[in-house]
Amino acid sequence: MDYFCLRLNKMLEKTLVDSIKTIDSLTQAQQLALGKFIDKGFPTSKWEEWKYASLKHLNERDWKWSPEKLSVDFSKPQWKHSAIIQTLNGNTHSEGALPQGIALLPMSEFMAQNPAFDSVWKARNPILDQNSLYDLNEALVNDHAVLWVKKGVKIVEPLLHHYLVSGQQDTAVQSKLFIYLEEDSEITWFEQQRSESSHAILSNFVQEIWVSKNAHLTLIKDQDLQQSITHVDHTFIFQQESSLVDAFTFSINAAYLRNNLHFYIDGPQVVSNLNGLYIPGEDQLMDTHSVVDHRMPHSESNELYKGVLMGNATGVFNGKIFVRPDAQKTNAFQSCKNVLASDRATMNTKPQLEIWADDVKCSHGTTTGQLSDEALFYMRSRGISKATAQTLLLLAFVQQVIDKLEHEEIRAELSDKIVNKIQASLGLTLL
Amino acid sequence: MLSVKNLHARIGEKEILNGINLEVHAGEVHAIMGPNGSGKSTLASVLAGRSDYEVSEGSVEFFGKDLLDLSPEARAAEGLFLAFQYPVEIPGVSTTNFMKSAINEIRAYRGQDAMDAVQFLKMFKEKMAYVNIDQTLLSRALNEGFSGGEKKRNEIFQMAVLEPKLAILDETDSGLDIDALRIVAEGVNKLKTPQNATILVTHYQRLLDYIIPDFVHVLYKGKIVKSGNKDLALELEERGYDWIISALD
Repeated sequence: MDYFCLRLNKMLEKTLVDSIKTIDSLTQAQQLALGKFIDKGFPTSKWEEWKYASLKHLNERDWKWSPEKLSVDFSKPQWKHSAIIQTLNGNTHSEGALPQGIALLPMSEFMAQNPAFDSVWKARNPILDQNSLYDLNEALVNDHAVLWVKKGVKIVEPLLHHYLVSGQQDTAVQSKLFIYLEEDSEITWFEQQRSESSHAILSNFVQEIWVSKNAHLTLIKDQDLQQSITHVDHTFIFQQESSLVDAFTFSINAAYLRNNLHFYIDGPQVVSNLNGLYIPGEDQLMDTHSVVDHRMPHSESNELYKGVLMGNATGVFNGKIFVRPDAQKTNAFQSCKNVLASDRATMNTKPQLEIWADDVKCSHGTTTGQLSDEALFYMRSRGISKATAQTLLLLAFVQQVIDKLEHEEIRAELSDKIVNKIQASLGLTLL
Repeated sequence: MLSVKNLHARIGEKEILNGINLEVHAGEVHAIMGPNGSGKSTLASVLAGRSDYEVSEGSVEFFGKDLLDLSPEARAAEGLFLAFQYPVEIPGVSTTNFMKSAINEIRAYRGQDAMDAVQFLKMFKEKMAYVNIDQTLLSRALNEGFSGGEKKRNEIFQMAVLEPKLAILDETDSGLDIDALRIVAEGVNKLKTPQNATILVTHYQRLLDYIIPDFVHVLYKGKIVKSGNKDLALELEERGYDWIISALD
């Protein structure tokens, strides 16, 4: 580590340690994580996994590490939902009663009630290489909330998760949530990630999800944050035998948006579906790092990602698929298609398949292109303006991902949001 | 309505149009014929505003306006229509939605109110009958997986909907069997009024059996080298282009 880096990290260390009253108040795991983070600091472009999405500049900020307490009158959606759970600047609580068979409780209580799970949990072994933000989160979050879905509980209406970060000054917000789905349970988790601040906010969110045998999770992330926000979302999903997860990530707004979405397939007959759409505009960077780790045989993963890059936006897609030696008869598919809707936009893609088993079916395809001039001219020759023609073509392009959402109202809501963003971006940036 | 004077156009260094002069009035049908590479399709493209071509000299006036100064969408709104030789596939956009966008943008350009769903439905039904086109085709993604005949029929449907003052049909007969050709030609004939005009760009005389032109022009090396009435087309059918070319060279 060079001197400059060392000095920066000293500053991080000072403000961090100052914010923690006594270092002894931290658990051993927290102290360990804190040390790791201070050693490494925020990722820089020299780190392979953060090559196009450096956070080096965050080292230089005078962060407030303890965010203020928030209370928010949350406007409920018009459509039917089974519960509202809020995570406001890291504090998670439910608005009103939870449905029968679902509990929200601290991790310590959850572990006390499930002592056998402790060793299983500790052996989960996620890939944390070059992820100092996970360490930072671990260092500062103690006893986070657990959403516990009991055995056989099936909830049809979505559970709405309202995630919000805010601050009156530059603030680093750590949030963490663990979702535990017992055997044969089923929920739809619709997460609205939002911010309310004109200050630089680092929103560092860790979400770990345990999906037991035969359980079914639909996970929808609607990421629409302000231009002052740096949002890093780590979602690690551990799937057991015969479980099914349909994940959707809609990355709509934020100056910097990084998704580390990991699937660990720990049993046979698992199905993991990853759908994603990112539409960064002027001065926005959106980076998806997905991992699908096939550790057990006879499972299937499908990745469908699409990106529309407007203005001077930067996009990154890194899709890792691991097929471990034991994971015979795996089917793993990955597709990532991007449209550069502006001459100034950039897209960096890197599919990364590592296959150790010999009896598998894997495929991947990545494309990055521009809207066809022929198609644009054809549309314009009928009287459709260039901006409308571009919008129509882009909306047709993203529709495939939106159409996979089964919930009608959520689909309509997201679709409107995406249309508005694309139209606004094309109107603002002369192409 | 259209007045083309000494029009020169090129791609890069390559001069393709070499001084075109053409006057088109309301109620007229002009056929532009000529051997391959003579510049027929380029002329159609330049008039519609394709940006691949650079106009290096000359002028085009459309109802007194400088056409070359207008964007392709403004030309369409002013009443110009190009039926493409190779209609482009537009994935994910149905003909119906495509036409709704086009109509309402053109209406906005002309300062008219947008049409609503009921008005569209009524109008589409009427126009579908004109060109004998099926509703299912209009609900599919535009031109995607259409046969050659379906694509051309769809072009004529779009023309019927947009009611242009000047329609340019670029090699509309190419790739059509005789039945499809007849249906397309009937559509064009039905759309003909004393107020509008048509330019047919074609290689063969065949189309002119169905759509009778008032004027026939022969294009060669980017210039109109001979003009006449419909009899010229018949003579070309019989004798080919060589007799005109050899007289020139």
